[in-house]
Amino acid sequence: MAMLEVRNVNVSYGNVQALWDVSLDIEEGKIIALLGANGAGKSTLLNTMTGMLKPQVGTITFKGERIDNLPSDKIIEKGIAYLPEGGRLFPDMTIKENLELGAYPSKLWKTRKPDLERIYKMFPILGERKNQLSRTMSGGERQMLAMGRAMMSNPKMCFFDELSYGLSPVMAQEVFKIVKHLHAEGITVFLVEQNVHQTLEISDYAYVIENGRIVKEGEGHSLLDDDYIKQAYLGI
Amino acid sequence: MTLFLTVLINGCILGSVYALVALGLNTQYGVAHILNIAHGEFIILSAFITMTLYAGAGLHPLVALAVAGPIVFAISFVLHRTLYKRVKDMSANIGEFEGNAILVAFGIYFIVQNLMRDKWGSATSGYQFMAFPVRIGPADIAANNLFVLLWAVVICVVYYLFLMRTRTGKAIRAAAQDAGAAALLGVKINTIMALCFAIGGLLAAFAGVLISMKEPFTTVSGMNYTTIAFIVVVLGGLGNVKGAILGGFILGIVGYAVSTYDTGMMFAVFYLIVLVLLIVRPKGLLGR
Repeated sequence: MAMLEVRNVNVSYGNVQALWDVSLDIEEGKIIALLGANGAGKSTLLNTMTGMLKPQVGTITFKGERIDNLPSDKIIEKGIAYLPEGGRLFPDMTIKENLELGAYPSKLWKTRKPDLERIYKMFPILGERKNQLSRTMSGGERQMLAMGRAMMSNPKMCFFDELSYGLSPVMAQEVFKIVKHLHAEGITVFLVEQNVHQTLEISDYAYVIENGRIVKEGEGHSLLDDDYIKQAYLGI
Repeated sequence: MTLFLTVLINGCILGSVYALVALGLNTQYGVAHILNIAHGEFIILSAFITMTLYAGAGLHPLVALAVAGPIVFAISFVLHRTLYKRVKDMSANIGEFEGNAILVAFGIYFIVQNLMRDKWGSATSGYQFMAFPVRIGPADIAANNLFVLLWAVVICVVYYLFLMRTRTGKAIRAAAQDAGAAALLGVKINTIMALCFAIGGLLAAFAGVLISMKEPFTTVSGMNYTTIAFIVVVLGGLGNVKGAILGGFILGIVGYAVSTYDTGMMFAVFYLIVLVLLIVRPKGLLGR
């Protein structure tokens, strides 16, 4: 049994169906990727996995327990963190306050002080500038803060949505390095990306989503050599 | 010099009430996206509750904070959970909701105002409380006015600390900046919106209690306060707490200064300020 299992999930917005019979596994200790173009259904799936949307059909389980009927705060408390696209920081709050909100669910709020210290150790720059407003930070620093905020809940698994989007190639590489570091510390990683090449290089297993359906899956390196992937996503 | 001091102190007194009135409206708009036309009606309702308790039962006006406050808080919370929540679910997006919410607020405005007129009539009401002067340097200031200033400042400070220091306060600020991101972190947005609408009501109630201590009011004077709240919010910056407090005091001092020459000019000057501001700095003094 995989740590997280998505089974036959269908999601509709009114009359428009966005996900069709989507199933995927995220195995403990692995880096799993979901690849797809804009509008393919990546965000809908992520929103469903984080409790923002409820599937009309299908189940999602984490360590064997159903989570598709839980609100977001309970899912976070179970050990799943989510780093949304663009970081989604609170610009007029300090670095410290942004981090604290990563521990908002009531069970986590009690231990936020030691968690803050842990994040400051992980990213010393955040500790040095803890009283600075987040909107005064550079792009790279913001991404670091967003990572720190996701790590505040001490997650066992983390979803990363379009981590590299809008970053320079050098910054993107930096960010992927941090992901690998977090993975080495024992966090199971789910990468949702448009950046196909870099993502496949570091992932153990990947799924490709098109028009709301999973159309291809396989090990990261084998997909890099796949003719369809090469043609449709890598432009080779 | 005496005139300057009198204007400054009385302006601050007026401003402290304006700040309180604006903070309530700001909280309701900033987080719940409801431009509450009926804000002033709940201020007046609380003023009447205070008068009834004071004149009828002989209770100290401050007691009304603990009566009118929870009543308006509860009414507002229920209104949000029933009416506004329904309208929100029916609206395609937040912009459409804001438009629809104004219409709902208009309806509530008429209902509350007419219920009050039915109960208390349309004559000017009020009561005598701490009606003696206090000498500050060369200026004579009414004791009830200083009492109002003190309590308005206390309420503003407590509310500010609540927003800055507590878990719920931080969730409210986060929701005001990016509701979607706050939801992703586990903040229950619908509850926070209802809570903010109710807190806005609570602040309106507190303002009403304090206003009743210092000046007469009628069942139709609510819109004056709503208008002032709008002006202060535009002045300070939409959704900006510090801006609402600063804007309240600025408007209070300017308003009092103008009214020492010509009371009738006060609102004209207020509108002029808004006009200039909308041209020069449309985001408000502290807005971004």
